[in-house]
Amino acid sequence: MDSKGVAQIFYQISTVTLVAIVVGGAASLAAIGFVDAVHYLNERLLISPYARVLAEDRPTLVAAATLLVPAAGGLVVGLLVHFLVREKRGLAPPDAILAAQTSGAAPGFRSGLVSTLAALVSLGSGASVGQYGPLVYLGAMFGNLAGQLRLNLRHQRSIAIACGVAAAISTAFNAPIAGLVFAHEVILRHYSLRAFAPVTVAAATGYVVANVIFDRPALFLVNFDRVEHSYEFVFFALEGVFCAGLAWVFMRLLRASASISRHYIGVPWARPAVAGLLLGMVALWIPEVLGIGQETLRFATIEGAFGIGELGLIIMAKLVVTALCIGFGFIGGVFSPALLIGILFGAFYGLALPYLVPVPHSGLVVYAICGMMALASSVIGAPLTTILIVFELTRSYDLTIAAMVSVVFANLISYRVIGRSLFDLQLRARGFDLSLGRDKAILQTHRIRDYLSSEYTTALDQNTVGEVCQRLVREGRAEAMVVDGQGRLLGVIRLQGVVNSAAKTPATEAMIRSFTRFDEETSVWKSMELLRGFLGEAVPLVSRKGELLGVVPEEAVIRAYLEIVHDLREEENEAA
Amino acid sequence: MKRRSPMSLFLIVASILSAPAVLQAQSEQEGPEALTVATWGGSYERSQRRAYFDPYTEATGIPIETVHYDGGIEVLREHLASGEVEWDIVDMIQSDASAACEAGLLAPIDANILEPAPDGTPPEEDFMDGAIHRCFVTQIVFSTVIAFDDRAFPGVKPDSVEDFFDLETFPGKRALRKSPVGLLEWALLSLSVPREQLYDLLSTRRGLELAARRLDEIRDSIIWWTRGQEPVDLLTSGQATMATGYNGRFFHARAMENAPISVIWDGQLIGFNSWTIVRETHQAEQAADFIAFATRAENMAAQASLISYGPARKSAQKRVGLHTDAGVPMRPYMPTAPSHMDNAVIRDHHWVFPDRGSPGGVVSGVAGGIVVSVASRYRCFYNPGAVRCLIAVWRSEQLQ
Repeated sequence: MDSKGVAQIFYQISTVTLVAIVVGGAASLAAIGFVDAVHYLNERLLISPYARVLAEDRPTLVAAATLLVPAAGGLVVGLLVHFLVREKRGLAPPDAILAAQTSGAAPGFRSGLVSTLAALVSLGSGASVGQYGPLVYLGAMFGNLAGQLRLNLRHQRSIAIACGVAAAISTAFNAPIAGLVFAHEVILRHYSLRAFAPVTVAAATGYVVANVIFDRPALFLVNFDRVEHSYEFVFFALEGVFCAGLAWVFMRLLRASASISRHYIGVPWARPAVAGLLLGMVALWIPEVLGIGQETLRFATIEGAFGIGELGLIIMAKLVVTALCIGFGFIGGVFSPALLIGILFGAFYGLALPYLVPVPHSGLVVYAICGMMALASSVIGAPLTTILIVFELTRSYDLTIAAMVSVVFANLISYRVIGRSLFDLQLRARGFDLSLGRDKAILQTHRIRDYLSSEYTTALDQNTVGEVCQRLVREGRAEAMVVDGQGRLLGVIRLQGVVNSAAKTPATEAMIRSFTRFDEETSVWKSMELLRGFLGEAVPLVSRKGELLGVVPEEAVIRAYLEIVHDLREEENEAA
Repeated sequence: MKRRSPMSLFLIVASILSAPAVLQAQSEQEGPEALTVATWGGSYERSQRRAYFDPYTEATGIPIETVHYDGGIEVLREHLASGEVEWDIVDMIQSDASAACEAGLLAPIDANILEPAPDGTPPEEDFMDGAIHRCFVTQIVFSTVIAFDDRAFPGVKPDSVEDFFDLETFPGKRALRKSPVGLLEWALLSLSVPREQLYDLLSTRRGLELAARRLDEIRDSIIWWTRGQEPVDLLTSGQATMATGYNGRFFHARAMENAPISVIWDGQLIGFNSWTIVRETHQAEQAADFIAFATRAENMAAQASLISYGPARKSAQKRVGLHTDAGVPMRPYMPTAPSHMDNAVIRDHHWVFPDRGSPGGVVSGVAGGIVVSVASRYRCFYNPGAVRCLIAVWRSEQLQ
């Protein structure tokens, strides 16, 4: 290898590493700042159980805060999102996925900041939404910034986004391996060494920042020895199936709530406030529904902390209230609520099990953890990540294996019934369908008009067949596009179709009127489908008004397909 | 030489009449001024006298006097406010020390006075985390533990906090200190709440209720104690089968008096004592010199060979061997023994006893304040129905 090549490799590796560390560090610090700010707001606004116990002697104050804080928070969120975010919605992991997968313009930095602020207000004022979605987007936002630098690295943007996301998850969960896997499993959707190396560096950076520098406490800790009986794995699998059902209910509720809010509340920015008020009313009765519910999550693994009926009630309330908050436009994720509902359901299952199957079992903890991870993995479509989170948080092999069984069974069912994840569902609603893998989704984002050719023969509507034939012979083509005076495409004349026509026949009579055509929005994927059964040389591409813009030769469609798929394969198989 | 005046002649005559007092006064004038240490008395102070005070006087000629101190920062504040500052050094509980520091009652201590370990390890690596502070140097680790009467359980022995609450397997009375300290902590620990999350969860209504319910389960078997010696007596006399108390007392009873008492180290509540220098002392330099002397590894080990409180620096821990008088190995009785630390809880002192004066204690202290204030308002903790009373209070508030 010559010295230039060596220098190039050195440049690549050191730049990529530097980007990973900078993006990872920034995302990690931002994540810590975000989480701390949420805690601060929760303390100040009487949302956290701790703050509420302090104010125990002022019940009126607590009740007022419970009712008014989420409503006021909702109003702020509604106004922020409606007037300051260009997309008029919160930015979330699907936006990160889209930005990493496609080369299109990502949401701007300002939108990102305001969306993050709205998420902060949502979480801070006790809305029942998750913190990891906003954190993932925060990481992606820094990645996107780094992706815009002119560093001359291949796939710079997608790798930088993955770095930011990995660091955010690594910091938030104290789980660097899970962060690494999440970035690949959910954001990148492939495992190339080129991406793997920097994302690992970013995840490790997040871990160092969170653990070594700031010494963040773990999300939860459990005392668990081991799974006592082998038959319990059947219970874990069954629990996974139930969790898939619960995930389905959750998704249905989310959709129903969104359509209810659109249907009944005409003013978009007022929707979160209404949800906040409803949330407050439920919280007067069941305070556990407020906020992220970290303490509730921790109590769920403790025997005796909840009665079985109480658990059932909290699960239902939290499900409904979370759907309400997200559907009505509070900004935040679904992962934390899914974790909480899952762990409560797991505890419920663990408590109910002795009544259903009277055989000894290993206690509440393992069922709670299984439920948590099974539900969460079904919702975010990341089985490997959730299994690793269990492993990294509990360092317990037995718990991990038990959770693995539940997670896999939950995903088996939920993948069929719901789809891979909520993110993919949301992306599909926006026309980016990942259900058949990256190829189709990416092919759908590329427009075939990029392959437009201006080399074609035109015929005017007043031309005769003879004139058209002569022109075709002169230009060596077999097809002519018939347009009117305004340039609108009327039809196509194919040489083989007019061989027997009289020379004086008007072109408009001899032309084919039903033919394959593309428009400006036709994607490469769509064009491939339209080409099925096509016999001509090139497909005309028309504007929305019907004007002929050019043609796309058959060869160009195949070329487009090959190029895009080649890029994807190259990206997936790249070395560092 | 000075000329003798009639006045000094008078003094000589007077001195004959009151010889001892004047002799002392003379020695104070001529010899170096004594350092005054405020400390805790009893066998603890005796161990300090043997390990630190006397050797220091021997090495420097500076005598050490002690005054009795029972903890807290108010007493220090009052002493400073009195205008005649006599105390130079106070042996404070770490949380008190940091509160006193925030309140400006303590002089800063230059960390450079601390000597490295004998093998050259710098002090900041040798001391426990958080031991070296702007205002204090933490020197010992003490512990409140659960102990049991060995005779009461001839078969399987209890070995966890959970067993303390298990009246079925381990029947008998439970002696508990008549104070919220440790009660709620142990109640939650017995439900396998991870110790790292103990105070977080205890700071919620659900946590408090859970702890109170747990205590209620053993309510009828509780004997309350107030003085440190009581749990030892209750166990040796057979009145209680299990008791909470200070590890030093249990050690003393077991090792020196052969009492049939075993300690359960699971869930031990760790506390720290620290050397501090009073802000307005004019002997700050001498005080710092004493602290440097008292925190030498060999001196800390000497104290730990007299009383089973763990030294706060590793090099001293390594030097702890046999009890100086009894000859029993000390290490297994140290709260800091590695096997004991696995399930130790570092007591959040502020959680229970909020310090109004300290900004650091306010945030973490108020929840504890609620417990204490609710408890005392309804006289909950200090009567036999304490726990039920507490629950009744909470329940009634919930119903409103």
